[in-house]
Amino acid sequence: MTTDNTDAGGVAYEQPIPLWERISNSRRALAFVFLLPTILVLSVVVVYPFFFALSLSFQDKTPGVPGRWVGFANYIELFGNSEFLRIVYNTAFYTVVGVSLKFVLGLSAALVLNQKRRFNNIYRTILFVPWAIPTVIASLTWLWVYNEFNGLLNVLFTQLGLIEYGVAWLAEPRLAMWAIIAVVVWNGTPFYTMHFLAGLQAIPKELYEAAEIDGAGTVHKFLFITVPSMRTVFTITVMLSTVFTSTSIVVVNILTNGAPAGLTQILPNFSFNLAIATGRMGLGSAVNMVLFPFLMIFIILLTARILRKGGD
Amino acid sequence: MAMARARSEKITRAIGSVVLVLLIVWTLAPLYWMVTTSLKMPDEIYGEDIPLWPRNPTLENYRILFEQTNFLMYFRNSLIVACSTTVLSLVLSSLGAYALTRLQFPGRRLFARGLVYTYLMPESLLFIPLLIIVVSLGLQNTHQGLVFAYLGFTVPFCTWLLMGYFMSIPIELEESAMTDGCSRLGVLYHIVLPLTVPALAVVAFFSFTLSWNEFIYASVLVSDVDVRTIPTGIPNFIVEDVFFWGPMMASTLISAIPPLVVYFFFQRYLITGLTLGAVKG
Repeated sequence: MTTDNTDAGGVAYEQPIPLWERISNSRRALAFVFLLPTILVLSVVVVYPFFFALSLSFQDKTPGVPGRWVGFANYIELFGNSEFLRIVYNTAFYTVVGVSLKFVLGLSAALVLNQKRRFNNIYRTILFVPWAIPTVIASLTWLWVYNEFNGLLNVLFTQLGLIEYGVAWLAEPRLAMWAIIAVVVWNGTPFYTMHFLAGLQAIPKELYEAAEIDGAGTVHKFLFITVPSMRTVFTITVMLSTVFTSTSIVVVNILTNGAPAGLTQILPNFSFNLAIATGRMGLGSAVNMVLFPFLMIFIILLTARILRKGGD
Repeated sequence: MAMARARSEKITRAIGSVVLVLLIVWTLAPLYWMVTTSLKMPDEIYGEDIPLWPRNPTLENYRILFEQTNFLMYFRNSLIVACSTTVLSLVLSSLGAYALTRLQFPGRRLFARGLVYTYLMPESLLFIPLLIIVVSLGLQNTHQGLVFAYLGFTVPFCTWLLMGYFMSIPIELEESAMTDGCSRLGVLYHIVLPLTVPALAVVAFFSFTLSWNEFIYASVLVSDVDVRTIPTGIPNFIVEDVFFWGPMMASTLISAIPPLVVYFFFQRYLITGLTLGAVKG
């Protein structure tokens, strides 16, 4: 372990071995050196902040002032407020509907793209484009599409005679949340399409051929071959997307910031407004910690799945 | 029997074509509105009679954008931040992935699991403490602060992705190089990295787009106009000007171009990066 690793290049073995050579000759030491920057960065910007957020949720903390321990006061304040319960409901609605619609559209797109058709490459490229568009850009573009007086939707619908006056898509209490979800779906569907298309292409053709010999129709083949083969892809995609959808604030923040009357407010954006706009960092952290147990379930399940998949 | 199947196949294909057309219209409509608005004069953007296409296409909105707004500064800031994050992620994740796949050490599996956890940790959970940390490090309102924060989500993902590729390289290649007197770093640089160019491309693509698009950290850690990146810079045009939609759509179009170019360029490699849910959707 000591000197036998210095190569035969004429180094006198009496000389002390340089530090770098000693490190690079020990696998453990070298691994530690290689991983050190990663460990440093992730400790400072992920691991420590996570525990810090947890402890902040039990403090009364404003910028520039040291925090004061207040026990469960933040949580009691939140759950005593009916508006907060409304925001919890909004978050669940927004996530479940958004994820379901993305699932349906993504699966339809993947099935269609998997059919034999000329110029399929072009269609695929087009349907994937929203995925490469930054969410901020997508949100600003849709903000303009929804514009009450000059947006595409109202201009088009008025010209077609479907409506007489422009609709305020983002201010109408019954429509606002749906308008938000539409943007989330537009931007997020390609993520599903890609996963599902890759999954479909991995199904062995022989399965379908055998089923055809047995006289199975299209619906039958879909239900008894496609769906069972895609089960893993379905779960991984839905779980990942649930974590990302429920914690993304961009679309809500830019389109409505929670208006009208808090009907489109979701937990992460509420926390953002509390902590940044009003400086109540402790309360803001408590809001996030309410969402966290649900996320944790998905994160643990996903990690297990991903590791199982990556392990072979 | 065979005829029935042929007919059912025809119907499925017809339905497929209809669905395809609807999906394409839904995908392209907002982008069409973005592009056409950016080419219109104000009287075609606002007012009584709004045409669905520009009657007199003009680049006036782009001139206003470049000459009268901070757009070029935001664009430059975004480029600096995204490129720095990409380079640092590549270095950190290649070193880390090599250590985790090739240098046996105790706790290796635990570390790999920890990487997945850190990747899945949402930014919206971390931004409040991160603000306090970045302020205390004196990195508020700096590009360095942003890059540092972004490494928190690029490095775990990139390391994980590279681990998969490194494992697929036959270890014999490295062993023979090392008996020829090549050091570990030499092996990584001369043998492993050249063999994983496609993976490095994917890693670069994701680091670049993730940091180009990032919104929460950018709005929390930077309040100074001079340091703002595109995602936090251009929404402010709304506050600054009444007739902003023309230049605004010009700016969204230009801001979408870098990720789109990278996307078209790397398209065929990207499908391989999907196993971990490469881009958050």
